[in-house]
Amino acid sequence: MDLFPLWLSLQVSIVATAITLVLGVPVAWAFGRRRFPGRDLLAALVITPLVLPPTVLGYYLLVLVGTRGPIGRVLDAVGIELAFTWRGAVLAACVASIPLLIRAAQAGFEAVDPRLEAAARTLGRSEWSVFWSITLPLAWRAVMAGAVLAFCRAFGDFGITLMVAGSIPGRTQTLPLAIYDHVQANQMPEANTLALLAAGLVVVLLLGLGRFVRLRY
Amino acid sequence: MLSVALTKRLPGFTLDVHWDAPDMVTGLFGPSGSGKTLTLDCLAGLVRPDAGRIVIGDRVLFDAAAGIDVVSRARRLGYVFQGYALFPHLTVADNVAYGLRELPRVERRRRAAEVLARLGLSGLAQRRPAELSGGERQRVALGRALAPEPALLLLDEPFSALDLPLRRALRDDLVGVLREWGTAAVVVTHDFTEAYRLADRIVVYDGGRVVQSAPRSELLWQPASESVARIMGIPNLLQGTVIKATPDRIQLRWRGQTLEAVNSPTRSYLPPPGAPLAFFVRPEYVRLVRKDRMVADLGHHMNLMRGQVVNDEDFGTTWTLRIRLDEPGPPAQGAWDLEVEVPHLVYEILEIERDRHWEFSIHRGSIHVLPA
Amino acid sequence: MWVVKTALVCVVLLGVALASPAPGAAPPTLTVFAAADLAFAFRELVPRFEQAAGVKVIVVLGSTGNLAKQVEHGAPADVFFAANQTFIDELLAKGVLIEETRTLYAQGRIVLATARVAGPKLTALSQLLEPRVRRVAIANPAHAPYGRAAEEALRASGVWDAVKPKLVYGENIRHALQFVESGAAEAGIVALSVANVPAIEWVAIDAALHARLDQAVAVVRRSARPELGVAFIQFVNGPEGRAVMKRYGFLLPGEV
Repeated sequence: MDLFPLWLSLQVSIVATAITLVLGVPVAWAFGRRRFPGRDLLAALVITPLVLPPTVLGYYLLVLVGTRGPIGRVLDAVGIELAFTWRGAVLAACVASIPLLIRAAQAGFEAVDPRLEAAARTLGRSEWSVFWSITLPLAWRAVMAGAVLAFCRAFGDFGITLMVAGSIPGRTQTLPLAIYDHVQANQMPEANTLALLAAGLVVVLLLGLGRFVRLRY
Repeated sequence: MLSVALTKRLPGFTLDVHWDAPDMVTGLFGPSGSGKTLTLDCLAGLVRPDAGRIVIGDRVLFDAAAGIDVVSRARRLGYVFQGYALFPHLTVADNVAYGLRELPRVERRRRAAEVLARLGLSGLAQRRPAELSGGERQRVALGRALAPEPALLLLDEPFSALDLPLRRALRDDLVGVLREWGTAAVVVTHDFTEAYRLADRIVVYDGGRVVQSAPRSELLWQPASESVARIMGIPNLLQGTVIKATPDRIQLRWRGQTLEAVNSPTRSYLPPPGAPLAFFVRPEYVRLVRKDRMVADLGHHMNLMRGQVVNDEDFGTTWTLRIRLDEPGPPAQGAWDLEVEVPHLVYEILEIERDRHWEFSIHRGSIHVLPA
Repeated sequence: MWVVKTALVCVVLLGVALASPAPGAAPPTLTVFAAADLAFAFRELVPRFEQAAGVKVIVVLGSTGNLAKQVEHGAPADVFFAANQTFIDELLAKGVLIEETRTLYAQGRIVLATARVAGPKLTALSQLLEPRVRRVAIANPAHAPYGRAAEEALRASGVWDAVKPKLVYGENIRHALQFVESGAAEAGIVALSVANVPAIEWVAIDAALHARLDQAVAVVRRSARPELGVAFIQFVNGPEGRAVMKRYGFLLPGEV
């Protein structure tokens, strides 16, 4: 049986989670620990991808990054293919999972006692150092919880990926798309195998990760 | 040493203070919410005042007019927060070493170990704050603030989180530490005994303003006004009426008695007859007249009065008696007129438990008048 | 210490991410975007073409509406088989397809389908009114041509109002067929081309009850090798291809 969709999904979701973390943690920090005009509105807007039907969201993304879209045209000129490639699947996964990460991490950042940060400042640390040595470690549990959620959501994305990357076998057909394809073609044994593999893999991954990167404090 | 002038406007509260501290330890004393912690935050650079000037030694940390605002991490101050604000995810050793980043690793470890040893914390170096007792946490907070050798130490209610016996013990410890390290300090407290014990000079806060700034003994004996006396929680704060006032003496009427007090140190307070006058008498300066002596020698016993002990409380080494005068009319302080403090020994010898009727006197120098 | 551990984990994960078979590294192929109803027909046809032409073919199936949008926005399709010619014509108007390659490949037929083993035995649309038929599955008329045809047929038979409350919409006809196969719906109206499976019994629906489902195909302008697409279309409409297509219910106008 062709296991390409499994590897593809792993690849896509790992890369997508990494990007989501890099983009999402600073945003979550800003929402959680800084006050600025429009903050509450922005924080609420971040949640909207969760509310839209995935294929619709995927369609909007496609309009943006497809060959006719503003972003897509620029990328085309530079020779970068985004839509209908695994990168498109990564984009879809990021869009799907970033709201989850931001909300989870934001709660963690909000809970950090500001006086601990104040103490760190009086002890001679720069803002950057305060973030890395105090704020992030104390919000670590929430950030990790958000990352786990993000990974699972990225792994299991269907609708957005379907539109932005397409379900091209051997190229962009991720595991969820492959399972769906098998089900539609009434190939239940294949579908079930893939589904079991997906669930099993994710469980093993998360258990292993949890053990290895033990949560300090 | 330290010169502070601050103005900060917050919704519902305005801080507007100005005081100088030539001494080593300055206490900021006053009721909760009077702006003491806010002052410390401004000193530390955590809050930006609207106007003012902060100078430590020869370093200008803040000057609104000149546009100077040294950032918090460059001020080199140590801050012991109320509740200590220890980093829960770091060990004791890491907490103490936190401010020593700029030192090379070896030097950092050495210094942290030294600080821990001086504060008696060496055995706890690898523990987390959650595993420590209140007293231990307080010492870690101190060590963390002192390790970088700051120019000034700020302490916010350093003992409020502890129980009474521990408080006393640590208070004495702190006095020793401050003296030994030779670091100047500003201590915030709402407990007068604490302020008196720790600080050389006390600045009294009330409602965002300074109502008195004086060396501690001066504050104790000469509160600037009745409201300061009230903030200090002085017992026997009483109201009388002036009979006659001269630069040396003031004669006043109180509860049917004619009392004579020395005038205030300035000798310039001359209220007219009939004017109301606030005064206080320290409980330990009321003398009970022994009954085995003959009738009072008036030269010896001034301001002689007579009354009954209506209430007494055992404080271990002393007894506090509450005396109601043999005068008609409502007593001055609820159910009694005067609070008197006698050492345990005196209580027993005079058999006060059994014998409740007493004559007592107050030396005119022990009646402190409070200018309006 | 924990820094080392986290770094190690990151390295391992990145290694997995980067070391896996690079997707899309396969040699140039013919990518065929095809409407869902062509699933079975193409499963037989495509390997034959691959052998005959010596070309690897990737078939991407989906609902015509979705596929059309994707082709419009740059999907790597070489040729697009739509379930309804209007989608082809729209894309032609937008310049996405090559005009000269537009061809009819079938006229769609719809059937009334039931599960062979457990389902009710139905022979006419009017029987859908019966109480033993609780749910009827069709493809979504909003974007699936066969769904629209199903609606038209129901309306023309005068049972639309009564049957509408029982309708269950599938994303496409494969989806609708699934409802029937699994027993979620007692009956369904799907394309003849997907109904020819052992588990399904079907009865033809009069073609006059709905607008003609002219199914057209065209080569995509962006295709790197349009001649391959043309070759495939010719194969499908050629003698070998037509035999297979007929077997799966895809008849050209005039064919029997």
